[in-house]
Amino acid sequence: MFLRSGRSRAARGATALTVSALMFAGLTACGDDTPDSTPTGGGGGDTPAAAGQGVDDGTELTMWTRAPLERQANALVDAYNSSHKNQVKLEIIPNDDMEGKVGAAATNNELPDLLAGDVVRLPYWVDSGMFSDLTEQIDALPFVDDIARGHIDAGTSTDGAKHTVPFVTDISVMVWNKDLYTEAGLDPEQGPTTMAEFKEHAQAIANLNKPDVSGTYYGGNCGGCLVFTWFPHIWGAGEEVLSADGRESLLTSDAAKEVFAAYYELNQSGAVGAGSKEEAGGTWTAPFAEGKVGVMQYPNTSVYAAIEAGINVGVGPIPGVDGGQSTFLGGDAMGVSKDSEHVEQAWNFLAWMLSDDTQLEVIAKNGEVPARNSLLDNEYTAADPIALTMNATVAHGRTPVAAYFSEAFNAAGSPFTVLLRNATFEGTNTLDEDNAAITEVLSQ
Amino acid sequence: MRTARRRRLARDRFGLAYASPVAAVVAVFFVVPILLVVYMSGTNWKLLGGNQGINFPDNYGDVVDHRMFWPAVSFTLKYTVIATVLLIAVGLGLAMLVQETSRWRGLLRTAFLLPTALGLASSSLLFYSLYSPQVGPFNDFFKSIGIASILGSPNGALWATVFLIVWRYSGFYMLLLLVGLQGISGEIYEAARIDGASPGQIFTRITIPLLRPSLALSIIMCVTGSLLAFDQFFILTKGGPDGSTMTIVQLVYNLAFESKRSLGLAAALSVIALVALVVVNIFQLRVLRGKGDE
Amino acid sequence: MNSTRRRSGPPLLRGVIRTPYYVLTTGLAVIFLYPILWTMIESFSAQPGSAQTDGYGLGNYTTLVSYQAGLGVYLMNSLVISLVAVLVTLVLSLLGGYAFARFNFPGKNLLFLLTLSILMVPYATLLIPLVIWLKYLHLNNTLVGVGIVLAVFQLPFAVFMMRISFEAIPREVEEAALIDGCGTFGALRRVLIFAVKPGLITVGIFAFLAAWNDFMVPLYLLGGDKQPLPLALVNMRQQVMGVIDYGATEAGVVVLMVPCVVLFLSLQRHYVRGFMSGALKG
Repeated sequence: MFLRSGRSRAARGATALTVSALMFAGLTACGDDTPDSTPTGGGGGDTPAAAGQGVDDGTELTMWTRAPLERQANALVDAYNSSHKNQVKLEIIPNDDMEGKVGAAATNNELPDLLAGDVVRLPYWVDSGMFSDLTEQIDALPFVDDIARGHIDAGTSTDGAKHTVPFVTDISVMVWNKDLYTEAGLDPEQGPTTMAEFKEHAQAIANLNKPDVSGTYYGGNCGGCLVFTWFPHIWGAGEEVLSADGRESLLTSDAAKEVFAAYYELNQSGAVGAGSKEEAGGTWTAPFAEGKVGVMQYPNTSVYAAIEAGINVGVGPIPGVDGGQSTFLGGDAMGVSKDSEHVEQAWNFLAWMLSDDTQLEVIAKNGEVPARNSLLDNEYTAADPIALTMNATVAHGRTPVAAYFSEAFNAAGSPFTVLLRNATFEGTNTLDEDNAAITEVLSQ
Repeated sequence: MRTARRRRLARDRFGLAYASPVAAVVAVFFVVPILLVVYMSGTNWKLLGGNQGINFPDNYGDVVDHRMFWPAVSFTLKYTVIATVLLIAVGLGLAMLVQETSRWRGLLRTAFLLPTALGLASSSLLFYSLYSPQVGPFNDFFKSIGIASILGSPNGALWATVFLIVWRYSGFYMLLLLVGLQGISGEIYEAARIDGASPGQIFTRITIPLLRPSLALSIIMCVTGSLLAFDQFFILTKGGPDGSTMTIVQLVYNLAFESKRSLGLAAALSVIALVALVVVNIFQLRVLRGKGDE
Repeated sequence: MNSTRRRSGPPLLRGVIRTPYYVLTTGLAVIFLYPILWTMIESFSAQPGSAQTDGYGLGNYTTLVSYQAGLGVYLMNSLVISLVAVLVTLVLSLLGGYAFARFNFPGKNLLFLLTLSILMVPYATLLIPLVIWLKYLHLNNTLVGVGIVLAVFQLPFAVFMMRISFEAIPREVEEAALIDGCGTFGALRRVLIFAVKPGLITVGIFAFLAAWNDFMVPLYLLGGDKQPLPLALVNMRQQVMGVIDYGATEAGVVVLMVPCVVLFLSLQRHYVRGFMSGALKG
């Protein structure tokens, strides 16, 4: 553990060095164009496309994002509007209606300038031509190699054109209730590091036989939840969940089988919280925040809510089946829509959003995960070891990319939901057929 | 003779003039969009990609072959039968409880009618909280009978939604049936009683037959509304768990915006639903009105 | 029992249920009122994951008031949409009901059936065609456009209701007005409109309630600062990772509900009379 974290710290240091070198190079190259080293404060305003920062000429820009990200979007938009001539008008769309609204607007060529979408939905949007090509602008960024890859990959079309940059980063981590761990005789400072340990810990908590308290809990009727929480176990073991082209499901691997088997056994022994089987995602994080669950995977954004609710939370990375770790790099990426008439102005927002200053003073300060690898370890995380632990997992993060991902995995009644219910509740031994059903949707 | 006819023609013209705003709005805001739907149903129209050309009749075949099509049809029918029977029964029961005039009965009517003042979406949101395992007031009760989350099981979700619908709409049907009940004169009951009819006989032989027009209207509205059920399931269950509460209209929404993202497929299913409803309603009108005339 | 003759109801219930009558009806009234009262109380009380963390207070309402564009904007939009919908529904159904009840003209039955068939169209279906079509009409993203669309969905009930309201007026009333020198429009404006007032109120309330509470039509047809309250409410319900702010949701339900309940209670007498015009028997 010590070794690993030591190494990643060193690796990050190296990246940071490279990045500053690159930035320095970038600055000297365009030295006479912009006096400002960061775009904040309206720098580079009047010169068109100055230093690849787009144009800030008082244009009104429109932006859409889905409702769950309202807080993060507001913080960014307020900071931008107060320091720029361009003004962004933010519109919040209900999560489940985002797709319909985008489709309707696209038909009428009325998409907003800036459009953000869930990374698992994005590839389909990109395929359908919802975004403007930003390859040139993105590649011209001095820190391009420092940006979290997942969100750029999700917006990269098959011909290699880049369309999106990270907007909000959401990751999955392992959490455990330290008080329950102590009570069960487990080390409250050490979460599970393998699937076997996870099972052991959950079972130990369940064996306390406390009313309403269960070993673990999961969204047993929520494909989207389990993509987010279970895939890292498989990635951590070095296996893949999808083929490289996103047209085939690989959930019959040994690692996947072990994850399903562990949950099946926990279900059999009654260590899984009541309601898991019906949990469709509306309340899957609630029981842990109420102190009713020993150990489970969790979204980083909800960790603080659990702490505020008075839970003594332990946080660690999600382990691979036999050690190692990974996380689901989720959240939303943002691009400039096909209908935007202000691509340069919209790019000004995106470039500003990715800058050091914004990533630190708006995003990190707000308790969010920065989208720049070199900034994951920063002054705000220094004061907050939990944030540091969570951010450290980003380097191991993955984002699955497939055009029909949400239909195959997230949609209500998706084939993935069928698979996981058969594998972990019913124990039907139909993994091969169920996996084939997912592939069928992915390969359409 | 001629002036009378001319006057009638003139009057007809006024009628046409009075009806023309309705005709115009119906034509512009209903007929045109419907024609557009029919056209879309014959094309490969993608949500994000737009119209990709005509592919009639592929969408119709694909939608009938869709794995959720028959489950959705059968669930919609099941829901319609349950909702209609319960709404009419409860509506009639309530109407009979409050049909006489008194202060208490006036208050009761208000109580039963109050939920109809709430929108279906707000009512659904209200019941969503009411049923939630976190803030709902009946959790301990549900737990004691072994239900972790009422919306979590197919039957629980169905009956929870039916309860919401009965709560929200039975006042409305009470009112419709009350109108019918009050149209039955007391003398008929008096006569029946003198002839020695039992209360049961009076109900089946007098109340029900004389109530037929009101019942017919209520049933038609109820069946049509239930076959098109959407909001309540959209907010409460999203068609879950395991697609067990997926109604036809929800499938339309799902095909258009969630799973297939194909407006062509969704339009084809809508056209099928529309045709089915027209047939069902013609049939209902025949049965309900036909018998009434005899 | 002195009033037996005047009480004209079926004797079934009177015979079977008498003492338990009050127990039964009180129980029923409680069932019908409970959810409404429960939300009202809950909206002021503490909820996990909401702004009201302990005790009673206005925390949930604060969340609501400061949400995005602000409660005021959303309420105003809702009000405009609802008023347009009510106005359009009233005018169309008044004129249309009069035409259908009292005149013969070519295409009358076809138009009437066509209007009723609006009831039979799946709502979700028309959204995309409407988006495309309203843009063509230059009514896209306008409160008026949404108001009209919502009124269209009210037409089957409204036109039907007004038709039977007009049919319930004795023909002599209109004839007397015509002889007095009024044209048909004069008769409508000076005499008949008063006779169908209960029907108009019923139709108006229906249109208001439907338009006030709708969120799907505005979702697709409106954007930016033009969103009405129910849409804002649906947005607010969802937070990160699908966790739900029940407190703010309940507060929103109450804000949506109060005007409806007040309107309903103050006009209830007319509303019920609209149904009772007796004509619904046909």
